Amino acid sequence: MRLLPGILSERLTWLFCLVSLLAGGATLILVAVFILREAAPTLFADGGLMALLFTDPWVPLAEPPLLGIGHAWISTLMITAISLGVAVPFGYGIGLFISDVAPTAVRSALQPCLDVLAGIPSVVYGFFGYVTLVPWFENHFAMATGESILAAGLILAVMVLPFIASTSAEAFRAIPGDLREAALAQGVTRWHAVRRVVVAQAAPGMFAAAALGLARAIGETLAVLMLAGNSVALPHSVLDRGQPLTALIATELGEAGVGSPKYHTLFAAAFVLIFVVVCINALVWAWKGRLIYRV
Amino acid sequence: MSEAPSLPNRQAILVDRAFTVLAWLLGATGIALPGVIIGFLAVRGLGVIDWAFLTSPPGGFPLGQAGGIGPALQGSLALVGIGLVVALPLAVGGALFLTEYNRFPALARIVRFATECLAAIPSIVYGLFGYAILVVFMSLKISLLAGGITLGLVMFPLILIGAQEALEAVSWQDREAALSLGVTRAYVVRRVVLRQAAPGILAITTLAAGHAFGSAAPVLFTASVIFSRGGLGLETPVMTLPTHLYFLVGEALSFEHAYGTALVLVGVLLIVNVLVVCLKGALRR
Repeated sequence: MRLLPGILSERLTWLFCLVSLLAGGATLILVAVFILREAAPTLFADGGLMALLFTDPWVPLAEPPLLGIGHAWISTLMITAISLGVAVPFGYGIGLFISDVAPTAVRSALQPCLDVLAGIPSVVYGFFGYVTLVPWFENHFAMATGESILAAGLILAVMVLPFIASTSAEAFRAIPGDLREAALAQGVTRWHAVRRVVVAQAAPGMFAAAALGLARAIGETLAVLMLAGNSVALPHSVLDRGQPLTALIATELGEAGVGSPKYHTLFAAAFVLIFVVVCINALVWAWKGRLIYRV
Repeated sequence: MSEAPSLPNRQAILVDRAFTVLAWLLGATGIALPGVIIGFLAVRGLGVIDWAFLTSPPGGFPLGQAGGIGPALQGSLALVGIGLVVALPLAVGGALFLTEYNRFPALARIVRFATECLAAIPSIVYGLFGYAILVVFMSLKISLLAGGITLGLVMFPLILIGAQEALEAVSWQDREAALSLGVTRAYVVRRVVLRQAAPGILAITTLAAGHAFGSAAPVLFTASVIFSRGGLGLETPVMTLPTHLYFLVGEALSFEHAYGTALVLVGVLLIVNVLVVCLKGALRR
């Protein structure tokens, strides 16, 4: 190990570590600045933001092209609402099951199951939904095509469920056992202790779990691309087809000439995604101090 | 305890029973879900998978109806490999700086916030960024190199956060005991800290690599093509497993092969999870 004199190797290690960290930090700034730069022609044009988000439809072949992403963020909003509406109560329930109900053996069987569920690739979920949920919808709702906001939302719920369950379980388990025992010693039921002590104490962690699920749901691409139907019309009901922001980018990037208005609009859509995700993180930090991130 | 005779009323007990039953049901759902999904894919897909499927290129007309996924498997592995070459040293180095050398707690907090934001940025945004910077601006074209670097960007924040946690778990007494013998900090880092944190760092690296292996969004526009005969070059595009599945379904080419491809993706995930469990076991010992 005496290849280098101690002091030199010390300096080199320090330098390498510093450079690595700066490179990482620089990446974030680069991503943000570059996306903002490419989005700028759309964002800062006269009335650009209003047209982009609210007034214009998506008609890239019109002359001049109309490039509004209203249909996309509304689709994202609807799909995310459905998925969180399902996954948040289920996730909290599984979290409480892990922290307060399950025997150790069951708990240690459940955790790897959640890890597997969290690890299944988005495209596999999309495929799974495509061969199960979509035909089922077609048969039961008499729809021409089962691809819909609802199908995408339901599969997305399964995808974010393990994140919400694991994160909230961690929050519930962080509540000291003494508090539970003090409550139980008063003769209340376990449910009462859970509701009035555990849930009350773990509120910031539960918020973080939901926010983590929200960030995941907004950014998920392949599954919603395959299930939401990729229609540029404004969705009016959950059985309509839609095209969330991520699917819009994935669909249109291949046909957007570099530097064209469409290209800049896709970056504006990406900027909206980044902006929302960073805001969610900032909110969680403001309340909880730290968001526990799991792969 | 809930059976104690001094309980206030029957209703409270009933509600408590309902909670217990509901919690068990939800827990059972959590255990059953991955089994159902993987079982479903296995029943439909297992018949397709054999050695020829795993190694030969897609064939038939239109392409994808026969043959296998060989080039896609190869391409995905190469992409993740390049991504790891980019991300692993930077992430571990950055984590080491934060835990071993950094004297400013504020810096650690800022970096932590930044990496958590990076980790939360949707993977399609990385794909867009990689396309604009690497493919177009740096004219790497749609290639293995561009896709690998993009996957590296996706993995970097995940590994940094995990490595930092693994390094923080190494006890301060061990570090100080070593330092008090008069060795340099770099020596302590190499021989004490990294050695103890290695299983944890490997575990998070494996998880991040598994995540990158299955994600299509970052490589859709930076590396992947619908068909290649195999053979790898840094400047040539590749097939990848997740985008292959996407194309198979999108073009409705062959559902049989789509089941097989999905099953291979899930199989890789299961291998990754088993590895991680083993590594965490090593950490405990």
